[in-house]
Amino acid sequence: MQLKKRRGTVRKSLARISAGLLAASLPPVAGQAAAQSYYDDAYGARNDNFGPGFSYTQLDAALLVYQESGSRVSATEPTLNLTMHAADGRQLSMGAVADAVSGATPNGAVPSILPQNFVTPIRAQGSSTSVTGASGGSTIIHLPPTPGQVAAAALGRQYTVPANTLPVDKGFHDHRAALTGAWAQPLGGITEIGFGAGYSRESDYQAITANTHLSQNFNANNTTVSLALNSEFDSSFPFGGIPTPLTLMNAQWKPQTSRNKTQLGFVLGLTQVMTRAWLTQFNFAFDQQSGYQNDPYRILSVVDPVSGLPTQSLYENRPLQRQSESLYWDNKLDLGPTVTDLSLRYFTDSWGIKSVTAELAERLNLGSAFYVEPSARYYHQSAANFFHFYLPGGQALPAYASSDTRLATFSATTFGAKLGWIVSKRSEFYLKGEYYTQSGNGHPAGAIGQLKQQDLFPKTNAAIAFIGYSWDFH
Amino acid sequence: MTALPDIGPSRRVTRLGSDYHISFHAMATPCEVRVECDDAGLAETIGAAVESETRRIEAKFSRYRADSVVSRINASGHLGLAVDAETASLLDCARQCYLVSKGMFDITSGVLRRAWRFDGSDNLPSAQKILDLLPLMGWPKLTWKPPELKLPPGMEIDFGGLAKEYAVDRALAEAAAIAPLPMLVNFGGDLCVTGPRKGGAPWNVAIDSVEDSGKMAGLIQLKEGALATSGDARRFLLRDGVRYGHILNPRTGWPIRDAPRSVTVAAYSCVEAGISATLAMLQGRHAEAFLKREGFRAWCIR
Repeated sequence: MQLKKRRGTVRKSLARISAGLLAASLPPVAGQAAAQSYYDDAYGARNDNFGPGFSYTQLDAALLVYQESGSRVSATEPTLNLTMHAADGRQLSMGAVADAVSGATPNGAVPSILPQNFVTPIRAQGSSTSVTGASGGSTIIHLPPTPGQVAAAALGRQYTVPANTLPVDKGFHDHRAALTGAWAQPLGGITEIGFGAGYSRESDYQAITANTHLSQNFNANNTTVSLALNSEFDSSFPFGGIPTPLTLMNAQWKPQTSRNKTQLGFVLGLTQVMTRAWLTQFNFAFDQQSGYQNDPYRILSVVDPVSGLPTQSLYENRPLQRQSESLYWDNKLDLGPTVTDLSLRYFTDSWGIKSVTAELAERLNLGSAFYVEPSARYYHQSAANFFHFYLPGGQALPAYASSDTRLATFSATTFGAKLGWIVSKRSEFYLKGEYYTQSGNGHPAGAIGQLKQQDLFPKTNAAIAFIGYSWDFH
Repeated sequence: MTALPDIGPSRRVTRLGSDYHISFHAMATPCEVRVECDDAGLAETIGAAVESETRRIEAKFSRYRADSVVSRINASGHLGLAVDAETASLLDCARQCYLVSKGMFDITSGVLRRAWRFDGSDNLPSAQKILDLLPLMGWPKLTWKPPELKLPPGMEIDFGGLAKEYAVDRALAEAAAIAPLPMLVNFGGDLCVTGPRKGGAPWNVAIDSVEDSGKMAGLIQLKEGALATSGDARRFLLRDGVRYGHILNPRTGWPIRDAPRSVTVAAYSCVEAGISATLAMLQGRHAEAFLKREGFRAWCIR
């Protein structure tokens, strides 16, 4: 080894390290003063990374890139987290996330053997934003005059979906920025108490969150019990205003511009060291959401009860209340050369969705500087009781209906692998790739007419890549 | 802080010139305290305090004791163990030493003991055996988020390169808190003084000969601070005329080549002197150049 450093820098560092160790452990009067004064006299007060304090800061930076197959949705999401740890267990963390999402999302209508036209509002009315023409394959149209309407405002955006194609709206792009902050510290006999808050903003959505948690270790730190309370207040202010549920899709600006939703929940956790090689954790979570939960851009088709051809497009409607419970069980097992993480989750809610998740990850060290962690995840859910691919015409409308396939019965698998590179004692670089496949039954029993030949639930495949770096420093 | 009951009083107090000399055996090494005073009772009190602090540190950080913090950390492995402030400060010190030495000072390198036995014989381990151990070494593989330390499977730590020197500094501080007397604490050649003797005279410290234990290779006059010696005087393997010293390179798993037989460094504290001497040994044939460039007060024997 060659220590090509400036004269005396290693010696000074060692002196500082030693003084730091002894200052921290000697009786405060004699030792600390002695070590400190010698340290000051001999080497002067220099402040570098090797000072005697044991506080440090963690920086995590990552970039996520998400791409669905068939040039559907793509997203880019950089994140940055900074956590400052003080020597006495207090910690302050701050995070920032930005993302850009664009592409084409299914609008909720069924495919048809005939081309279909859809209309949505444009940002012309009462706004200084100029209209530049075609946007994502759509055209600006003049709406047929309606009674009482100002003619100059009667512009809309129309897009056409070819025959036998799942209708998607290509004009979809959004940006999101989010900030979070949290504080945690030991307090008296309490192992940790903490508070956090967050703010997230998109062009048409805003979320404000606040949370608090308590955790307590027992049984020589082999058992940890924790309780977290979470609250969230969301506002939706969709482009074009809030549509009236279960009315015809149109290009008019709606008079109501925003709706809110509140969410309250708690998570009760138990972590237990079972054996030297087995750590297990249970979480029970309860959430109560109330308020506007519709997707304001999503429609569903009303079809001819014989031919199955779509005749109308209605805005969807979901219940205002949603209550959910979930149980999560995680196990970390040290099986010698590898470390296994196996988790199971069961979720149920008042909308009728029941889901199970199973996830397995296995970490293998490759030499001293690298590790790989392959992982697999399986997810299955049953449909919400108001999910319909479409509504048959000539029948009374249900109170709630949505064709969002995220509320349908489906299964999803994710396979991934993480490659970590331990760059130095304080920094790590990692790459992670995941492939996601979602499949549902696109040919439901009882499909009407032409819908028998359409795939109502096309398979979704997506590739997700992460690149990240974490760094600890003083 | 009391001596462990199963050890029993092992201290011997003798008068040596104008000093009281207290000796006992701990941390696998002979331990001595010299107190310049005429009060036998006070010297005994100081000796008891030094021994008690030493046994406390030995019990807490010895890897040979199943109930020590080190053993509990090693047993907890990746599940992690939250450690007390003193252990945390030693871990931080070890972490910083790893950084300053660019990985040459590494408290995870004790796994090499599974391959190396320095018994003066010619039994070298196989290269494969060393290669198999290298993945189990390296401080960066530990997860040290104070106060919790997690070890990957198969890895272990020990404070072999720190605990004795730390005990010298701590014991001397305990002793100095009892009475402001000239004192010297010496554990197997790692020593620290409170200051000069009465009248400003220095303490005379002999450097052990590496060839013939008991003979003197040099005399150091110490008025303040500490001395520590790193060397292979008694712990080595000899094969085909090549001497393999006990200072192992954590990067290769093999002994440092062409290191001095012994390096003695003077510094403010025994911890500082000990780490410095070890780091100098790790420079191999560049040890003297390193000591000179860094401005250490040091003595090398080749």
